[in-house]
Amino acid sequence: MATSKAKKDSKSKARSKKADDKQKNILEMLKSHGAKIYDDLDNGQFPKFSIPSRSVSNIVYDKKLRQYILGNNAALRSSRNSAQLRSFTQLMWLAFFANRLTNEKKSSTLRDVYYSSQAFAVEFEDQSESDNIIVDLEAVTSKPREDFHIFPEERSSIFGDLNIEYTIPGYEGKTMNLANHPDGYSIGPSLTTAELVDTSAEIVIAIEKGGLFTRFVEEQVDKKFKSIIINTGGQAPRSTRTLLKRLHDEMKLPVIVLTDGDVYGEHIAMVIKSGSANAAHLRELTVPDAKWVGVWATDIEKYKLPTIPMTESDIKRCYDLQKDPRYQDGIWKKELDVFLRLKRKAELEAFSKYGLTNITDKYLPQKLELAKSL
Amino acid sequence: MSSIKEKFNQISPSEFFYSNRDLAGFSNPTRSLYTAVREFVENALDACDQKGILPDVHLTIKAVDPDKSDPKPYILTVKDNGPGIDAEHIPLAFGTVLYGSKFGLKQARGMFGLGATMAILYGQITTNKPVIVKSSSDAKIQNQFEILLDIQKNKPVIVKHITKEVAKKGLSVSICLEGDYSKAGNKIRDYVYETSLITPYASITFDDPKGQKFSHPRFVKNIPAPPTIIKPHPHGIDVERIRRMIVESQFEIPTIDDAMIEKVRKDLGLSKKNLSFTSIMDKAKKKWKNLPRQVRVVIALMSFLKMDFEKLNKIRIEDIDMPNKKLFYWDFGDSQSKSMDMDPESQYYKQLTNTVQGEPLTTFLTKRFQRVGPTTAVKFAEFAKLKPEKRMGTLTNQELVNLSDSLQKFDDFMAPDSSCLAPLGAEPLEKGIKKFFNPDFVAVVQRPASAYSGFPFIIEMGIAYGGDIKTGGPHVYRYANRIPLLYDEGSDVVIKVVNDTDWGRYKVKGEPPFIIVSHICSTRIPYKTAGKENVADRQEIERELRLALQFLSRKLSSFMSKRGQAEAAKKRANLYAKYIPMIAEFCTELAGKKKEPNYKKMLETEIETETKKAVKEEKEIGNK
Repeated sequence: MATSKAKKDSKSKARSKKADDKQKNILEMLKSHGAKIYDDLDNGQFPKFSIPSRSVSNIVYDKKLRQYILGNNAALRSSRNSAQLRSFTQLMWLAFFANRLTNEKKSSTLRDVYYSSQAFAVEFEDQSESDNIIVDLEAVTSKPREDFHIFPEERSSIFGDLNIEYTIPGYEGKTMNLANHPDGYSIGPSLTTAELVDTSAEIVIAIEKGGLFTRFVEEQVDKKFKSIIINTGGQAPRSTRTLLKRLHDEMKLPVIVLTDGDVYGEHIAMVIKSGSANAAHLRELTVPDAKWVGVWATDIEKYKLPTIPMTESDIKRCYDLQKDPRYQDGIWKKELDVFLRLKRKAELEAFSKYGLTNITDKYLPQKLELAKSL
Repeated sequence: MSSIKEKFNQISPSEFFYSNRDLAGFSNPTRSLYTAVREFVENALDACDQKGILPDVHLTIKAVDPDKSDPKPYILTVKDNGPGIDAEHIPLAFGTVLYGSKFGLKQARGMFGLGATMAILYGQITTNKPVIVKSSSDAKIQNQFEILLDIQKNKPVIVKHITKEVAKKGLSVSICLEGDYSKAGNKIRDYVYETSLITPYASITFDDPKGQKFSHPRFVKNIPAPPTIIKPHPHGIDVERIRRMIVESQFEIPTIDDAMIEKVRKDLGLSKKNLSFTSIMDKAKKKWKNLPRQVRVVIALMSFLKMDFEKLNKIRIEDIDMPNKKLFYWDFGDSQSKSMDMDPESQYYKQLTNTVQGEPLTTFLTKRFQRVGPTTAVKFAEFAKLKPEKRMGTLTNQELVNLSDSLQKFDDFMAPDSSCLAPLGAEPLEKGIKKFFNPDFVAVVQRPASAYSGFPFIIEMGIAYGGDIKTGGPHVYRYANRIPLLYDEGSDVVIKVVNDTDWGRYKVKGEPPFIIVSHICSTRIPYKTAGKENVADRQEIERELRLALQFLSRKLSSFMSKRGQAEAAKKRANLYAKYIPMIAEFCTELAGKKKEPNYKKMLETEIETETKKAVKEEKEIGNK
């Protein structure tokens, strides 16, 4: 008993040290950036730094990494250039602010950042300007903003047998089982930074919609299929993608994605798998092994699902994606072609035509079986 | 059907204008007061311009009863130091419609002096008070008239006439009219202000009904060269005008009565003697060159009739049939009509042809139009498919219309003579703009003369930026023949051209403090309405306006970019001063240092450099 407790303690300590190390790295990195600027000024020079270019021409698809990355083009930001001086100062402030957040282990949202700036007489025209500067900081440091304790408004949630241990101030060392609350747990800063302790689950099911998430919890999909259920709430936020990646990498769990049967659903799965062009400057947000299991265009015909016609923007999206290198082969290309042929789409709820539990009783088992061979 | 016979009555010009006063800008008390001010002030300025006198114009508007509310009767008085009007012309000039001295073809503010009479008419209609005219044309005697207009007869009724001794020439006109100064005041003040800008050689004062005095002293001592009266350009006339010109060119067959015979005898130097027919002809041949036209015609007739004075006394000429070469006359002695053949080879035949059928086409063109030479005239005749020697008096109606059309269409006439125009000149215009607006930048241009439909015109334009100019520009000051145009600017060609301009291209952005002064000079401004407030978009005028505006805009653009550079340098200095200390503050904490980096000296040097740049650019602007 005692040994097991000690073992547990030491494990916990190791985990906590890991979190501390991460924090230390971030702080060191910020400090080195600050020191460079400081030295420039101290030497009577206008400080400058280089930042990877995020223009479309510099976003390339890396086949080995199976995601979009930034190319080698970089831009020089100089405080001598009066056109850049303002954004230079803003970025400087943001680094300074992120440093404080990380130091004090405080979390904030994108909106918080926008308002906090005003306490330092740093002007942002609107939140989109401050959001943009946050992406600049990510690009310079190659770290997602979550590492600097800046989080989006959470709207996705998780449910299933997974034990975690908090690292945020006031909860350090406290553990929690994520199957304790049937509405699920929202994926916010505390969950994103928590250590993943253990799980009995064998698979992660990411599902696009809150309604289906609730149905899956009700129907005890977590128990029946030994799974962790995640509601992505449409396009998965980056904190959720980070969590999916950690579940896959740290817990060695396969990830499957279940979306509406339309082109947007297909792309939600793709972003979980290989990221988005918007986040080409970051590399820790993808689950290259994630599998999209449905609803496929071919399922619409196979299961005779009730459909609605595609809108013009749906069709345009299909043609756009056909140009994307990731849609050039396999299931991705095949399903896209069928969508274009059908010009119709079906929602996850369409299975209710055959009864409310049809999706969990019939469809899901078939797809889980199929996923093994994908 | 019952027969209803329409009654046809001739109405007098006064009656016509009485019932159509809206056309002339007398539609309501507000507009009428404004229009009346305009008409009298413009007449005063025109009178001075014509005599080369530097104008002093005093405008006074007084309420008859200040306590009444608008609209109410006002007394409007305009006094000038012009040449005055001779006493005998005053009743007709101020008491009839369509009587004036401005009918010649040259640039003037008004065309016929019609507006002033309209104002008088309007005053009389609304208040039943006479116009009071005080005029001295010799600086000794002043004639004072009180005149009413008999509308139906278009005749003046002199109510009172006295004379007085004075020491100065000039004219003062005073009318009582219903007006609304509370509404018209702004426009009238603007009018006086804007008039003094385009008439910098005039002193204009205005005493308004509220006791305020507005004084605009002259700031240019030279009056622009007065325009000359010229003949019309072929492109600028119509069938009716040609018809009148032909009538002017024809001579009537003189009535051969005792008086005429006596005149012929006298001119031939034969008053005492009675000579035979042959001797008379001999004498006439010798004296031909000195004989007046009427006498020549009589001699020509005598040559065919083969009569001496005695016989001539006993007949009456009935008809001269040039095509059939026959002369018809009534013989009192025999009491019957007789005819006589005419020899077309005779030089007297030519004389009669000239008289009866008018001038040949080529002579008509060269003599009665501006800038048409014999070569052009012959070329034109070919173009119009008329014989060059075709007599003007023999043209049929159809040929007249054809002639008029061809005159419009023939492209080889020289451009209209612009000596009839009197632009203000670039220099006085620039002086005026500088005085009125104290701008940071001003540029003016006078375009070379151009023409539309045979009417010459000149565009003058000025552009100014900054200084005392209000923001929200461009503010456009429109002038035509030195008259400010204040109403109906929406449909004006100048506004159209200004609005078509993409000011961003000329580096003018936002709500700039920026004015444009445009002056169109022409013998005939193509106004859209009789109220003379907006100019129609004739293609030729639009083009000249565009060229003038583009020229000036380019100058403005180079000023703006200099100014922009100066501003940018200033702005840079400000940005450094604002942001560098912030960067220093943030990186100090980020780098984990206690003391801020030593950046102040660098910042000072940089700000100094930028400030110097700004000063240098501004100096260059100032030197321009």
